[in-house]
Amino acid sequence: MFNSLRMSMGWVHTWMGLVLGFVLMICFFFGALSVFDREIDRWAIPDTRFEPQPMPSFDEVLKPVFEQLKPHPLDMAATAERVIGPLPDPATMKLESVYAYTTHRDPVLRIGGEFGIPNQPKDPADDHLHVHGWATVNPTTGETLSSDALKIGSEWFYPMHFNLHLTWKMLGYWIVGLAALVMLAALVTGVIIHRKLFSEFFTFRPWKHVLRSSLDLHNITGVVALPFHFFFAFTALVIFASNVYLPLSYTMLKSLHDQHEQLEAERTGLPHDKSGVAAQMASVDAMVAEAKRRWAERDMPGEVGYLFIDHLGDENSYVSIYRAGSDRVALVGEGIHFKASTGEVIREQPPRSVVSSINEFLTGLHLQHFEHWMLRWLYVFGGLMGSICIATGFVLFVEKRKAKHAKACSQGSRIVDALAVTTVTGMVMAALGMLVANRLLPVDLVGKGQWEQNIFWSIWALAFLHAAWRSSPVAKARHNPAWRDQSLLIGMLSLAAVVLNWITTGDHLIKTVFTDTYWAVAGVDLSLLATSLIAFYAAAKLRAPVVEQKKTDTALNRNKQVNAYD
Amino acid sequence: MTEAMWLIAAMMTALLSMGWLALSYESHWQQVFPKSASKPELKRLKAAGWAGLLVSAVCSLVADHPSMAVLVWVMLLALASMTIAMILSRRPTLLRMICPPFFVANA
Repeated sequence: MFNSLRMSMGWVHTWMGLVLGFVLMICFFFGALSVFDREIDRWAIPDTRFEPQPMPSFDEVLKPVFEQLKPHPLDMAATAERVIGPLPDPATMKLESVYAYTTHRDPVLRIGGEFGIPNQPKDPADDHLHVHGWATVNPTTGETLSSDALKIGSEWFYPMHFNLHLTWKMLGYWIVGLAALVMLAALVTGVIIHRKLFSEFFTFRPWKHVLRSSLDLHNITGVVALPFHFFFAFTALVIFASNVYLPLSYTMLKSLHDQHEQLEAERTGLPHDKSGVAAQMASVDAMVAEAKRRWAERDMPGEVGYLFIDHLGDENSYVSIYRAGSDRVALVGEGIHFKASTGEVIREQPPRSVVSSINEFLTGLHLQHFEHWMLRWLYVFGGLMGSICIATGFVLFVEKRKAKHAKACSQGSRIVDALAVTTVTGMVMAALGMLVANRLLPVDLVGKGQWEQNIFWSIWALAFLHAAWRSSPVAKARHNPAWRDQSLLIGMLSLAAVVLNWITTGDHLIKTVFTDTYWAVAGVDLSLLATSLIAFYAAAKLRAPVVEQKKTDTALNRNKQVNAYD
Repeated sequence: MTEAMWLIAAMMTALLSMGWLALSYESHWQQVFPKSASKPELKRLKAAGWAGLLVSAVCSLVADHPSMAVLVWVMLLALASMTIAMILSRRPTLLRMICPPFFVANA
């Protein structure tokens, strides 16, 4: 055992940080990119490069779109495994509920619905069986977007940061949850082991030895953004606590949950079940107008963020309209519910309770759908600070041990260094390679999105092989040249992405910044250029140790030869 | 526009305050000025730094809804601290600008 608390905490910080640091690196980096996921979507799907739109007319635009909506083949396959007997023909399935969701940054609209099925579940507890359908709609024309066009920001980078795209048994969610928990422990232990938390708050000495300077950078990026790191790790756990990590209401307390659902339906007047009597739907646009009028009356005028209709075509059908939370931290709120057949107001959501407000604030601050561009950039800064903190943690681990490992002929430092290169620069290369592939692959290529995903994983795997192949100097207590190689590649890929965007769409920076301003694409291009510059600068800096190392090696060889002659 | 002005004010005061707080440490003071600082001077800098942070919080609160302002302010503090740390590591003498002689005699 250890002699002091600080040493024990140091052990926890080092080893837990190392093991789950690789996952945390992914969470922080892709989390930072997710702040601008919609903007990355615009970059990746040039057809959607137009101004964000408010929720379109339901009666004129959305109703015909929902009539065309079909069950999604992916969910058909997933549901088929949960039920007894074959599923009915998707063309005959009836929509039971629909939703539409938009934010102040979305030119296109996400819609979806649940289709009822007559099958019985294999697991009796699995009592909410539906097949889901979803689509992305251009609200200006009512056309749906091709499902082959992968939204790289919101459908790839964003889920990567919370489920690693490991969806089997929700494995990715559990790994990320464990990493978030370890992050909290790492923050507490980090504060305990930091000897000069305040006096070195502003200290970074890049001119000192790499061990000292990387420790400075590790400390400073961890400490200055400590509230950010803490709240993001904590709220990540809060967001998934009730439905993934501790789903008590679906397991141990299921009967209580079902009873509560019924009682709440009685209390709120929003019917829990269908009546079985068919009914027509009144104008939803009129309900939207009424909702907006009521919000304005409360001195909080706003746009619709979320629209939901349950029990479609039934007497008990109701329409719920929620205000977009663009001007506050909460996502959506101030719901107003209407009887679908008459358009009369059933219920106006009362002010939130304290507990509900805290929950909304915590989830809202993490999911950040608000319209505050400065805060969005500050979040990117926080995410990058987290990434630097973890990356420098890897460097520290290797630098502290590589001489000792070299003496003992151990490969420990070499393995960690190769994995660090893969997770730091390799991951950035994979993301950039995906963007480059997006611009190079033909727009009408069948399964274009799947190709892009395959390219992403392939580049990442190649980055690992490259890092492992180039890491042999680490086993001799030297520097791994893979860091420099991959930095150079990052510089080139970033530049290539900007140039390819210009060539394939005509949207160069002069156009998107000055003549026909479109900040979503300009922002991504400018960030890519900045990445390129930083990567080339880093590669140039990393050249120095390699050159010095070669000089030392030559000198050593010369000495050896001289000694041999002697 | 007014909101943007208040946010810029919050950012500038956060930066200034973090600069003063950094200079209130003898080690950083010596990176910036050739002469040593007296204890009262360092104390004055620390007090000014904390007061500036409060002003920055007020500017954030004027600019935004309180729930948003608290996030903006906390993140501004992080950005300001990092900026000051980078200035100290690359061009420490730049911080002389934020310490006029009437504020600190040895500046």
